[in-house]
Amino acid sequence: MMFVLRMAVRETRAAWRRLLFFFVCIAVGVAAIVALRSVIQDVRAVFGTQAKALIAADVIVTTNRDWTPTAREILDRRLAEAGAIARTESIQTPTMTRPADPSRPVARMVELRAVQAAFPLYGSVGLEGGQTYSHALLKDHGAIVRPELLTTLGVKVGDAITIGQADFTIRGVVISEPGRGMGQFSLGPRVIVDFDDLPSTGLLGIGSRATHQILVQVPDEGVQSLTDTLRADLRPEFANARSYRSTEDQIGRNFERAENYLSLVGLIIVILGGIAVSSVTRVFIQQKIRSIAVLKCLGARSREIMTIYIVQVMALGLAGSLLGVLIAQAAVGAIPLALGSSSSILADAHYGVTWSAATQGVAIGVLVSLLFSVVPLLHVRFIKPSLLLRDESTRHARDWVGMAAIVLVAATLLAVTVWQASSLRIGVVVCAGFAGLALALHLAGQGLVALVRPLAQSRSFPLRHAVLHLSRPGNQTRVILLAVGLGAFFIVGIRSLQASLLDEFSVQMAENQPDMFLLDIQQTQVDGVRAFLADPAVGAEASQVIPVLRARVVAVAGRRTNLDGVQAVRERGGGLGREYTITYRDHLEANERVTDGEFWSGPSSDLEVSVEQGLHDRFAIDVGDTVRFDILGVAVSAKVTSIRNVEWRDSRNGGFMFVFRPGPFAEMPQTYVAPLKGPSDPAARARFQHDLVTQFPNVSVIDFHEILDSLRVVMNQVTLAITVVGGLVLFSGALILIGAVAMTKYQRVYEAAVFKTLGATTRTIARMLLFEYGVLGSLAGLIGSIGAVALTWGVSRYALDIPWRVFVGEHAAGVVLTALLVAAIGVLSSLDVLKHKPLATLRAE
Amino acid sequence: MIELREISKTVTSGTEPLTILHSLTLAIPRGQFVAVVGPSGSGKSTLLGLIAGLDAPTSGSVIIDGVDVTRLDEDALAKLRGEKIGFVFQFFHLIPSLTAFENVAVPMEIARMADAGTRAKALLEEVGLTGRSHHYPSQLSGGEQQRVALARALANDPPIVLADEPTGNLDTATGRHIMELLREIHRARGTTMVLVTHDADVAAAADVRLIFRDGRVVERT
Repeated sequence: MMFVLRMAVRETRAAWRRLLFFFVCIAVGVAAIVALRSVIQDVRAVFGTQAKALIAADVIVTTNRDWTPTAREILDRRLAEAGAIARTESIQTPTMTRPADPSRPVARMVELRAVQAAFPLYGSVGLEGGQTYSHALLKDHGAIVRPELLTTLGVKVGDAITIGQADFTIRGVVISEPGRGMGQFSLGPRVIVDFDDLPSTGLLGIGSRATHQILVQVPDEGVQSLTDTLRADLRPEFANARSYRSTEDQIGRNFERAENYLSLVGLIIVILGGIAVSSVTRVFIQQKIRSIAVLKCLGARSREIMTIYIVQVMALGLAGSLLGVLIAQAAVGAIPLALGSSSSILADAHYGVTWSAATQGVAIGVLVSLLFSVVPLLHVRFIKPSLLLRDESTRHARDWVGMAAIVLVAATLLAVTVWQASSLRIGVVVCAGFAGLALALHLAGQGLVALVRPLAQSRSFPLRHAVLHLSRPGNQTRVILLAVGLGAFFIVGIRSLQASLLDEFSVQMAENQPDMFLLDIQQTQVDGVRAFLADPAVGAEASQVIPVLRARVVAVAGRRTNLDGVQAVRERGGGLGREYTITYRDHLEANERVTDGEFWSGPSSDLEVSVEQGLHDRFAIDVGDTVRFDILGVAVSAKVTSIRNVEWRDSRNGGFMFVFRPGPFAEMPQTYVAPLKGPSDPAARARFQHDLVTQFPNVSVIDFHEILDSLRVVMNQVTLAITVVGGLVLFSGALILIGAVAMTKYQRVYEAAVFKTLGATTRTIARMLLFEYGVLGSLAGLIGSIGAVALTWGVSRYALDIPWRVFVGEHAAGVVLTALLVAAIGVLSSLDVLKHKPLATLRAE
Repeated sequence: MIELREISKTVTSGTEPLTILHSLTLAIPRGQFVAVVGPSGSGKSTLLGLIAGLDAPTSGSVIIDGVDVTRLDEDALAKLRGEKIGFVFQFFHLIPSLTAFENVAVPMEIARMADAGTRAKALLEEVGLTGRSHHYPSQLSGGEQQRVALARALANDPPIVLADEPTGNLDTATGRHIMELLREIHRARGTTMVLVTHDADVAAAADVRLIFRDGRVVERT
């Protein structure tokens, strides 16, 4: 063993420079795993300690309707039984707000929250400038608002804003608020007002979209039982209860999932490094054939020699992994600097590499290095000492041990992936996907190399030899194509997908398509709104004003589906039990067609409903079935008389899952919505919203342009995140490339010497290198781009259901930039090949 | 004692079988210095490879100190080489990643010899390379490299030294110096020595000369 260790140290001493880049690849992957896992664990620890602050209570009870006397009675009783310490109410609703100063023609949708004095039961409301929150700030029509609202409305602290029919004075700027989820999609910035002032706004009318909450503080031992009893008792009241623990569990699960998914990204980078390790080990052993033969000649056994190299690989794998941990520590340590003085919950975390993440990262780094080097190292067995006497090729029969090793390595890799994903299914899918992708990239690489082979007949000497070099023995073409191609694939793919999505949304907002949506128009306001919109000075084109009601399915009696109550509907899952927005009318819209049954004409006192095709498919609700609805507390049974296909892309007239036959509905409390094409000029749009809200304070306006903007921001962040991952993969690819150049440098130096002796100038050889890496880079970029085209096609067609578009610019840029990158790296890392004097090189040989 | 009993070696050249060593029976007593002489491709190096168990004969057997080496597996052969045979090659075949000292120490380390370091130093001194022990092969001249190879061949004090054209890659003066060293080793240690060469002057120093042509011994002097 001493001999093995000594030899491993000596070999590492001689070869570490050449092997360095490959182990930096391992380091990058390990760093990704360790950093991602650590950050998520760090943040999760904060959430663990602040779980109560996340919902601002021990238990929170929520409903979309007013609290009924029954519900209140149940709550009072159950809270008394559980020994509740405190309770407070809150109402949230999206609504419009505008400056009270009529000279400022702007309005903006906000998420209004009205709270009582006891709010929050846990955590605290963070205000800008170190101001302390107290309920007194809100008393007598005070409001605290998010900073972005100040900018949008052009107001400041001390100014008044109008919400509904009431004016509020801005008394503070909210930075953080307990119970406000991170990254939660919102229709607008938060405004907090006093609970008692809410009625003065007149926003709690019929059909309002307010969420009513009761926040409760109870002794810890009572939390679970209270949550369970309330959930059961309040189900018929359409209210739900959850505890900070269920929130914590949910967040815990989300974090765990995020941690596992992100680690897989790191694992893929490590595996890329592993592929590089495999390829370098193969070249390394080829270059070591004589030394190995000498060792055998001196009495060393194959097993001992293999152990020398395994120890060496593991030492380098360990060094790479430790380097990865250091990189991760530096990256994670820099997070507080990046967050600055942010008072978000993220800033409360203690950022550092966690032991569990570091251990996992190092274990994976060493394991992957070992797994990927074992198979090429087995070649040591076939090296015969007799080759020292006579040059002979080592030919050997089918190598069963080698094949068994490949199977074992594959199985272990699968096990590692399953371990990292914490899911057998995801592990298998990722492995199969990666293997498939690698195979596809490999085949594409082979195909493309074959495709450029005719260039080997080219009249240009440098080009001819550049192409020949791509298929030289011991070349790294496949590995480079795989690594660089994969990086290019990630980046180009995700950029095209982003372009595709944004394009799709832009198209949807194109000519004649509505780009604004009016909500909460009361029955009494319909004529007024119609008149307002009809005024040419306003500059809007309304298509129509549509009546809407909110309904829940409470039972289905049908041929294939029978659900006899709320409970059964909920258990059926798939979202059937959610609240639906419904309408009634006597005609089909242009974006609808009946696929089964017959659509009515004219009103009737019999209740009939038409069901959307997707709903029919998912829940097996057919023509002839009877569906029972709860519409604002009134039970209504309707017979399904038709199934409709809705062209969702054409949203001019909205789209409804359930459309009812007119008749009894005219009498029911309802609100109206109006999709419309707003003015195109931003100032005119702002004025339009302002004027509308001034006249009809309870009407909300959803501006698709604003949503598109926030969507663009979200998408930019997602794209950035994935581009960073792609960049890491590309970076690994670049390292592998530099490493590959370093590995084959000896051969190149010799060849360059021969070429120079035969009359080639340094310039010719430089051009040869440039062509070689240029062709290699173009091929890698092309592979990435082709992959990206396939990706956008698949995702557009199957996941997003949008038309497939090819962004030639993105793809062309991908190919050109990859080619330039690879050519630059290849030539720069080969510079000393050009510098060597031929005679010295040839003598050394 | 080395005994070769009717050994032959046939290889496949392209698709045709080619006999590079025809049936040969030969006994080399302990302590004898044998020179194998002949032109390129006459089967000299093949013979050396068969004696060392680097290669297996197509037929016949090779017996070293009563052990039939053709019946040994790769690991046993490696052990036998480590204990009994020292090798010197035309192209030195030092391990480029190791220093001169380490190259000499390796066979002793493989054999788990306790005083490998001390012995390696002594051997380098014996071949006159004390000051060069921490140089890498690429930093040594051809003659110096061959002296390191010689020291390495002697590392485990093997009863047999096989040398494949040890002067073939050296200038005349250096070659002569290496031959003096080999002769000195033979004399001082009583080593059985089989030396392949096509230089008649080099062969003249041997006890026995075998002249090879086309895979057969055509003359024995």
